[in-house]
Amino acid sequence: MKVIFDWLDDRSGYRNLLHEVLYEKVPGGARWRYVWGSCLTFAFFTQVVTGTLLWMFYSPSAQTAWESVYFLQYQVWGGWFLRGVHHYMAQAMIVLLVLHLMQVVIDGAYRAPRELNFWFGALMMGVTLALSLTGYLLPWDQKGYWATAVATNLMAEVPLIGPEIQKIVVGGVEYGHHTLTRFFALHAGVLPAMLVGLVVVHIYLFRKHGIHVKEPRPKKDSYFWPDQILKDAIACLAILLAVVALTLYFRGAPLGPPADPANEFPARPEWYFLFLFQLLKYVPAFWGAVIIPAFLALWIFLQPFIGVTRPGHQLNIGFWWTLIAGSVALTLLAFAEDRENTRHLAAINEANWQAERVLSIVADEGIPPAGAVTLLRKDKENRGRLLFAAHCASCHRYNSHDGRGYPVDDVQSAPELAGFASVEWLTKLLNHEHYISDEYFGGTEFKNGTMARKVLAKYTTEEKALMPRMAKLLSDNANLPYQEPLSEDERDELLSLFYNDDLVFQDGLACIDCHDIDSEEEGYAPDLTGYGSDEWTVAFIRNPEDDRFYGDENDRMPCYGRDNKLTDEEIQILSDWIRSAPAE
Amino acid sequence: MENDDQTSARRKFIRVATIGASAACGLFPLASGIPAILDPVRKSSGNTSSVPWSKVAPLLSLPEDGSPAKFEVVQEKVVDAWTTYKDVPVGAVYLTRKEDDVVAFNLKCPHLGCAIDYRKKSNDYFCPCHNSSFGLDGAVTTDNSPSPRPMDTMEAKVEEGYVWIRFQHFRPNIADKIPLS
Repeated sequence: MKVIFDWLDDRSGYRNLLHEVLYEKVPGGARWRYVWGSCLTFAFFTQVVTGTLLWMFYSPSAQTAWESVYFLQYQVWGGWFLRGVHHYMAQAMIVLLVLHLMQVVIDGAYRAPRELNFWFGALMMGVTLALSLTGYLLPWDQKGYWATAVATNLMAEVPLIGPEIQKIVVGGVEYGHHTLTRFFALHAGVLPAMLVGLVVVHIYLFRKHGIHVKEPRPKKDSYFWPDQILKDAIACLAILLAVVALTLYFRGAPLGPPADPANEFPARPEWYFLFLFQLLKYVPAFWGAVIIPAFLALWIFLQPFIGVTRPGHQLNIGFWWTLIAGSVALTLLAFAEDRENTRHLAAINEANWQAERVLSIVADEGIPPAGAVTLLRKDKENRGRLLFAAHCASCHRYNSHDGRGYPVDDVQSAPELAGFASVEWLTKLLNHEHYISDEYFGGTEFKNGTMARKVLAKYTTEEKALMPRMAKLLSDNANLPYQEPLSEDERDELLSLFYNDDLVFQDGLACIDCHDIDSEEEGYAPDLTGYGSDEWTVAFIRNPEDDRFYGDENDRMPCYGRDNKLTDEEIQILSDWIRSAPAE
Repeated sequence: MENDDQTSARRKFIRVATIGASAACGLFPLASGIPAILDPVRKSSGNTSSVPWSKVAPLLSLPEDGSPAKFEVVQEKVVDAWTTYKDVPVGAVYLTRKEDDVVAFNLKCPHLGCAIDYRKKSNDYFCPCHNSSFGLDGAVTTDNSPSPRPMDTMEAKVEEGYVWIRFQHFRPNIADKIPLS
């Protein structure tokens, strides 16, 4: 063994190099405050290795980016773990950057003769942030897509050449294949190569001037190996454990629904950019994109000179603490505002629903070559929600929301439709109190109609008690996919109640006197034959003014089919969705 | 003396701990991706009974004299990693007719997977890459043929006038015909 190493040393001189690397003097002994640079190097190393591995699975195009990440996350052995480590280490890197920067600022390590290295460090911070930004888009999910749109629009704020810069980065005007190929090349090629180059210069300059010793020195001088390396390695290990813990806890990195320019999503950047996001609520985009970064760059350039005097150094420290405090405050504010914003929470829930929905469709039918986004666009359940929200929810509600979970600003003026035509829904309908409430017909003319005033309001307690049974009969007509049909005997029995054969309703009137079930006559009130069934619901949405339904008594319900407001296919999707088991 | 021993033991511990912790940090990033990289090996099921039947051509389109005709094989559903394709060509076969029966040969040479030609003149199969030649029955015809086995046949059947086959690839360059899965 020794012979081989001797030969290798003779030819390469590696022992000298190793000695040079390991026996760097650490004046005042090894200290925990020196670990941040090594931790950052470790974090970057982890990103390069895991990133290269991720590269083996990633396919940058609008039809394959989300799909390949989905495949890695859910189909590849341990893929979620690999992705999770890369995702959370990226976030750890941002935290470490701030810690390293603050250590350098507080210790005054940015001052002469280390100005140049401070500037290189600042450059590296910029490259790291650019890596975060480009990486955020690559899964091509809703979150990355909409947030990147904001980030690239900010680029257009640069004077004179802004729009051209944006076009070059995006690869055109629209976000698509070229946005992904460019971002991927930046993220996996250009930026890491820049960072490697900068790290080399940074470490070279660091070695040239030696460690900046924070006085007073706690111990006698020692060397990088092994004392400082042990501290560095323990710190790296702690970071690694934190990243693994986060990865296990969240089961890897999140993956939202596939990017869809037609499907709105409230753009939010990753948490470490939230302060900038919040700031843009108060200042013009030009400030966020140009003035503030330019001011920061200028300050960083001047900082070593400002710090020459003691008050100058204090000013520098104060500047960075203020910046950090301001960023933390803005970040907390951004979180707090989102937490209070019911529309935002609904949008997040909606995106989570879509993400789960697309997974379950993919499990059933796989992903077509046109990409996973087409699955959601074609999905009848998703379209049912969208159609309801767009065409029905300004009057009707679904579990008090618009069908997608968003609160509705307009006053409810037509019945709640979650569980439409189910026994439960009809039992409530046949209760006078509910019938005239906003949940059913409180917002319509039927509140003062015959059914409310002359029928439901007049029932005795015994008669009211019969209503759940009547609801059962009516609901049986609906043939809902999630309800058991009645037995023939039970149906006959309930029909005799409907016809009031046994004269249980004391006014002697029967439902059949106004409403039809299975008879030829046209009654005065809506025909209840097949009430709530597929055929009935489709026909009703198509034309509620038909004699079979409200006739000229119709109160504001649009005739979607008759007036070509919706296609037959859309009406069918709506009917199927309204008649499906009520979701949350 | 005792003090010296203690110091040296302490120094030894520090060295071991440092090397251990550094190695853990250095190896972890690669280790975190090893299962994912090995995933294709894990997914080989070894189960070939799931090979689907593909409808290839009408029996009547095959020459009655038993000379081969080439057809592409279209599979109803093909899953390539994340994409599910419908009705895509997955390969090609030579079909030869023997009265009402059909023999199907994979187009790929069992040697190293080049596409085999049918030579009308000499009425045999010939691989233009490394000169393997095969008879119409698929058997190797020269003593020094690079191909270690005859052309790969696949299960074939005729139903309602159509030829159906179970299209498969086999491990190259070994004497035994072992399906790839």
